[in-house]
Amino acid sequence: MEILSLFNVALIVATLRMTAPILLVALGGSFTTKAGIFNIGLEGQMLVGAFFAVLGSIWSGSALVGVACGVAAALVFALAFAVLVVSFRANEVVVGLALNILAGGMTISLMKAIFGTRGSIVGKGIVGLPKVQIPGARDLLGSWAPLINGFTPMVYVAFIAVPLLVVFYKRTRLGLYIRVVGEKPEAAEALGISITRVRYIASLLCGLLAGLAGAHLSLGYITMFTENMSSGRGFMAVAILIFSNGSPLKVLAGCLLFGFADAFSLRLQTFGFPSYLILAVPYLVALTALFALSYRSRPKIIRETLESMRKLLSVENKPAETGK
Amino acid sequence: MSDKLRAFSGQIVAVLIALAMGAVIIMLIDESPIKVFMTLMRGAFGDQAKIAGTLLQTTPILICGIAACIGLRGGMFNVGIEGQLFLGGFAAAWVGFAMPLPAGLHVVVAMAVAVIAGAAWVSIPAFFRVRYGTNEVVSTILSNYVAVLLTSYLTIFLFKRPGGWSETPPILATAYLPELFAFSRLNWGLIIGLVLALFVAWFFRHTAKGYSISMVGSAPKFAEYGGIDVKRQGFLVLLASGAVGGLAGGIETLGVHHRFMEGFAPGFGFDGLIAALLANGSPIGTIVTALFFGALRNGSLLLETDTNASREIITVIQALIILSVSAQVLMKRRGDSTAGERRWKF
Repeated sequence: MEILSLFNVALIVATLRMTAPILLVALGGSFTTKAGIFNIGLEGQMLVGAFFAVLGSIWSGSALVGVACGVAAALVFALAFAVLVVSFRANEVVVGLALNILAGGMTISLMKAIFGTRGSIVGKGIVGLPKVQIPGARDLLGSWAPLINGFTPMVYVAFIAVPLLVVFYKRTRLGLYIRVVGEKPEAAEALGISITRVRYIASLLCGLLAGLAGAHLSLGYITMFTENMSSGRGFMAVAILIFSNGSPLKVLAGCLLFGFADAFSLRLQTFGFPSYLILAVPYLVALTALFALSYRSRPKIIRETLESMRKLLSVENKPAETGK
Repeated sequence: MSDKLRAFSGQIVAVLIALAMGAVIIMLIDESPIKVFMTLMRGAFGDQAKIAGTLLQTTPILICGIAACIGLRGGMFNVGIEGQLFLGGFAAAWVGFAMPLPAGLHVVVAMAVAVIAGAAWVSIPAFFRVRYGTNEVVSTILSNYVAVLLTSYLTIFLFKRPGGWSETPPILATAYLPELFAFSRLNWGLIIGLVLALFVAWFFRHTAKGYSISMVGSAPKFAEYGGIDVKRQGFLVLLASGAVGGLAGGIETLGVHHRFMEGFAPGFGFDGLIAALLANGSPIGTIVTALFFGALRNGSLLLETDTNASREIITVIQALIILSVSAQVLMKRRGDSTAGERRWKF
């Protein structure tokens, strides 16, 4: 019976709550994925977003200003990424990883310089995001009300962004441009679309959502900043983007899986399972999903073409081959 | 040759640009850049013990850097060196405390097990990479988190030293990697690292296998048409890279800590990757860059006490170095616009 009590409204609510930050950052990454950029720098953008959101919140005493600061910082990182990757054509993996490392080192250095502490920023007048109360929800849904009521605004933003993005990619000019640039850059060039400009816009839109995700991390349900608090969520988002190919609905499905894994593992912790193993669950889920889905979507045709070409060539080179 | 010289000067310019940017950041956090750099120098090379400390920090960075070089040369981004380091470190410690063996043999077996642990840990991402094209960057990064948590779990829940906290029992003295000098924990690991760097450099330059690995790394299609089994080779490259990563962890355990502790070698895997990138994938160059990063790391210990800057400022500088190198590489290459092809070339 105890196991049954794991599954209830509270678990669903926790799932939605845990899904929000990773959904936001993954939706941000969908812009760059669709535009044909492999953006491993999401992690760092999220982290600076979280840090500067706390900083802004302390300085201004307003959560909204905090969010704006977080977004601004993430945008700066996104811009740096775009300049190096799009304009200088630097390797996106190298730049992304370096920006992540920069984000980690910078936030810790700044924390020491500003607050004189290591580890985390707690209290000090951080103003968290308010909880949204939808009028009448309690009367209408009774005990199910927490499903739509009482989340921080960022949770609603994340879930509302999903259908918006579907429409964006299907119906708007910019959405189509982003897809063309990602799927067929030559066609985009022929149509007179500036690849550079579209990729810059996609990177900045990505930074915007990654910043919101970071702000939600540090100002949402816990109002604090700790070293490397994004703890790999940006990388999980990249894993989701790889197997969803940036499509918003598939991103949502993947993120709900992670939100559930997160919420469920927190539950398990209260049942006395070793916390180290439970903390590993979301990463294992990410890895399993990545491996399982890449197994399904292997580029069969390309592989077979390559294989047959290789055979053809090796037949032609038979005499040379046997000499080896 | 002049081409090589030009590339080398490019790296130096990149380092200087990054140091200048670092200086600006240091000024922003209200500290004098000159004081910080002098403290770093003093902390890295101030006296005999400091120099030995720098070399001690250099060792794991160098070996992890070699691991990264092997991957980069073969066109594989092994970002999971950190995880392989932890697994190797734990495996070596386990052999060290749980398996009494004669002196001499013990340390060799422990290192061999560390090597196997590192290779085994990367084998799953490697398999999916070559068989189904699963992006190895993401899978190896994610496996880092699992490796750190798994080794912590093993240490704290299964192999905790009685009375201790988050560390295994100490390894037996027969498994110690001998120290080089009496005044420091500097050990044979450094020699192993240097020999390994020379060997890998020789391997890539003078053997047919090494040549074919480099060919796959720089021009996979060409190599495939040339009849190289790209998948098999890619798998072996990642395995070798992971094995060296495991070795780094084993040496750290057997030579320095003589036990496995939670968080025993934070960041060495990433430092190694950065050192390899800065050295353009050359193992010999990695000796130089690893020494540079080892000096920064050792010097940074003094920063915490002597200045207002935190030691993570060197992480910032390292990241800036890689960013400016990556920008430079492309500035030089803007002429031949191979649009869309944005791989790091070696």
